[in-house]
Amino acid sequence: MFDKKLQLQDALFIGFCATLLVALKSMLRLKLGLTGHSMFLMCFFYLVCYGGVGRCGAITLCGVLAGVVAMILGVGKGGPLILAKFALPAVAMDITLMLLPSVMPLLWRFIALALAATLAWALKGFVGDLLLGLSVEVSLLKGAKSLFFGSLFAIAAALLVPSVLQRLKSHDLLHKDEV
Amino acid sequence: MANKALRFTSRAQRGSSKRYFVIDDPSWCAAALLLVLTLSSSAFFIDQTQLVYLCVVDGMLLLHGCYLRGKLMSLIKLFVVQLLVTCCLYLLMQQSDRMLEGVLAVCRLLLAAIPGWWLAMSCSPERIAEVLNWVMPVKWAFVVAASISLLPFFSREIQEIYAIQRMRGANISAKALRNPRHWPELVHCILVPLLIQLLKLAKQMANAAKLRQFDQRQKTTFWRY
Amino acid sequence: MGTSALVELKQVGLAYSSRQDAVLDGVDLALRAGECHLITGATGSGKSTLLGIIAGVVSRPITGELYTQAVVGMVMQDPQVQILRQTVGAEIAFVLENMAVEPSKMLVRVQHALRAVGLWVSLETPVDSLSLGQKYRLMLAAQLVCEPDVLLLDEPWAQLDDLGVVELSAVLKSLLARGIAIVIVEHQPQAFADFYSHCWHLHQGQLSKQASLFAVSQPKRYRPVQCAKQRQLLIEAPAFSLQFTDGNCLFKCAGLQLFSGELVTLVGSNGAGKSTLLKTLLGAQADIVQVPIKVLGKRPKLGGFGQQLMMLFQRPSRQLFETTVLQELCFSLKRFNLPLERATSMLQRLGLSHLSEHSPHTLSYGQQHLIAIASLLCLQPKILLLDDPFAGLDDDYCQQVVALLNEEQQRGCGIVLASHRALPQLQVDRQWQIQAQYLSGGQLEVDQVG
Repeated sequence: MFDKKLQLQDALFIGFCATLLVALKSMLRLKLGLTGHSMFLMCFFYLVCYGGVGRCGAITLCGVLAGVVAMILGVGKGGPLILAKFALPAVAMDITLMLLPSVMPLLWRFIALALAATLAWALKGFVGDLLLGLSVEVSLLKGAKSLFFGSLFAIAAALLVPSVLQRLKSHDLLHKDEV
Repeated sequence: MANKALRFTSRAQRGSSKRYFVIDDPSWCAAALLLVLTLSSSAFFIDQTQLVYLCVVDGMLLLHGCYLRGKLMSLIKLFVVQLLVTCCLYLLMQQSDRMLEGVLAVCRLLLAAIPGWWLAMSCSPERIAEVLNWVMPVKWAFVVAASISLLPFFSREIQEIYAIQRMRGANISAKALRNPRHWPELVHCILVPLLIQLLKLAKQMANAAKLRQFDQRQKTTFWRY
Repeated sequence: MGTSALVELKQVGLAYSSRQDAVLDGVDLALRAGECHLITGATGSGKSTLLGIIAGVVSRPITGELYTQAVVGMVMQDPQVQILRQTVGAEIAFVLENMAVEPSKMLVRVQHALRAVGLWVSLETPVDSLSLGQKYRLMLAAQLVCEPDVLLLDEPWAQLDDLGVVELSAVLKSLLARGIAIVIVEHQPQAFADFYSHCWHLHQGQLSKQASLFAVSQPKRYRPVQCAKQRQLLIEAPAFSLQFTDGNCLFKCAGLQLFSGELVTLVGSNGAGKSTLLKTLLGAQADIVQVPIKVLGKRPKLGGFGQQLMMLFQRPSRQLFETTVLQELCFSLKRFNLPLERATSMLQRLGLSHLSEHSPHTLSYGQQHLIAIASLLCLQPKILLLDDPFAGLDDDYCQQVVALLNEEQQRGCGIVLASHRALPQLQVDRQWQIQAQYLSGGQLEVDQVG
């Protein structure tokens, strides 16, 4: 099983990334309030996690842990529902990762993952809006807005992560060859 | 409410007195979590005719939250922002005749948010963690507990690395960051050193845990004093 | 000495990669009950790796033979990164939980371990509220609770203030009397001179026996400073008290002065407020009540002094992020529009030119430390604040740092150096001492000014 094979060191790194994501998100929320800015932090930490651990499944774990930490700390609104907010984009990224060809250049792979995460995030918002009772047109427009701005932030994160990983690798801190 | 994480952090950092939470028992906390989950979910799913019952229950939670000195600002901000955005969208889509359903949807969103806000006011983070430990594998429960207990450390590290790099001339002051050109500098000067620290710390903590026999047996017991 | 060894290493060797020299090469060591082994050696000589091998946490394959008949406990360098729980009781019981000890039997064992290290605190005490010395003893208790036969300690001296060392020594003596074997690796073995039984020196992977402690590490007196006293006032403050906004007062002070070309040490125990004062001078401490300090004629503000005020924080390797050493040194020079040649000449001065294209994080601890200091010094600041700059450095690196500081001092730089103990080996102009919540010696006496 994935969980068994994962070293404690990697598990802790995933946990640290998840906690940092939640803490920074709660900090920036007060300052910014721009639509989709959370996608920047989410994609950044999920991709760094994947780069650091180098295995499929790491992103989902990071997403679930971020949801759990957010629930414990009472960050965001919605109590236990916050779990879905963090976990859904992460699951979407991992599924996309399994579907992508392994020879794809890192940067394009990251951009594809970021877009998949944004799509899942916007879709979650769209379904939520429909359930709340908004009209289909308005829900679609809100979803499209989230998709557009979320994609911008997510792609910005995806563009930054390879250089960050490159730096970590040059410091001999990454030993995973899968990425 | 959104900043409980940071209050948690600064409290631990300063060693000041512990905050009082009305629910400090794991069983009650589990019940509260289930209640919040049910109430938040029902705000999305229940029929409009039954919404009034949810309003009554959420109203009671709101009053209790205020009694526990919870700040209403975050809820008010959420409501106003969502209301404005939704109304604008309805106007944009030329559906002003259906505006009422938009207002109702925003009310439902508020009803979904109130239980989560109340949970943050009433339940101690330690007890929520304890409840989650019941359902999580030991290894991951350990990872979550270790990560949360390191929040003060993360916060201190971010502050100090920021101070060091500002001193060294990095363009990362609040004013400089208004220009997106300087954002990559923030990532490279602050987040990269922080990630380096996290990678090293994860290795050291994993070694410390291994030295104390962690993750080496199937069966474990729990300290109850 | 006729008793059988608890742990025995025979011709043990380890190399990190085939390209590098062996970290350990043919090490022989036998540990018996009640023995205390002191192991000294330069920074990066493989002392911690040797402890890791004995404790069984080194994942790389070793050569030679390792016999263990004992339960081995180990306390790593920084107690901060080893704390895994939030209360004292839970922290000590962590190992018992993992060994699946019955919860009903835990309490007695935890209390016993706590008493053995002389910590008289409640089991509910939050770990955060303990001092660093108490945290170190807590880590010791967390090992003693599973009744080890061998205890390994990695550089305790650097982490602790003098009181912490005294408390630790008392505990270690009682453990030796109970028959526990102890191994301490340390740059400053003199601190434990009154109870060691064996002394070793690790050099180029080889462990050699030392007849006496002082043959290993002679107390050194560094070159006296030729101070150019130009007497420009760099830092001045009337009487003030340094306190947090929540009312918690760190210390009071009758006044503070620093002149150009002065080297001042700021001495006080752990938690006395040394780092807070330095960060206040830099303008990086947000949660304190405003103090009437003037630095270079201005109120301290982070980023407000350009390259004129620099501070070396604790664990300076944190500031390194560029991909090469040269880029790291050039980073600030570029930002302040200063000549980039200073970086290459600084590396030449340190004899580190051959490492200019290496990643700073692949260098040894001491080299990283020097690079971090050099990256500040090549800006030629007017004031230099250093927070515990000798932590974890061996004598050679200490000397290099002292030489750098002396050069800066002669250039006219005012230096404040914080340390949790006085530095007899360093020739200083004055000492700011924090004791019983009072900072003394902050101002120059009238006759000294004249």
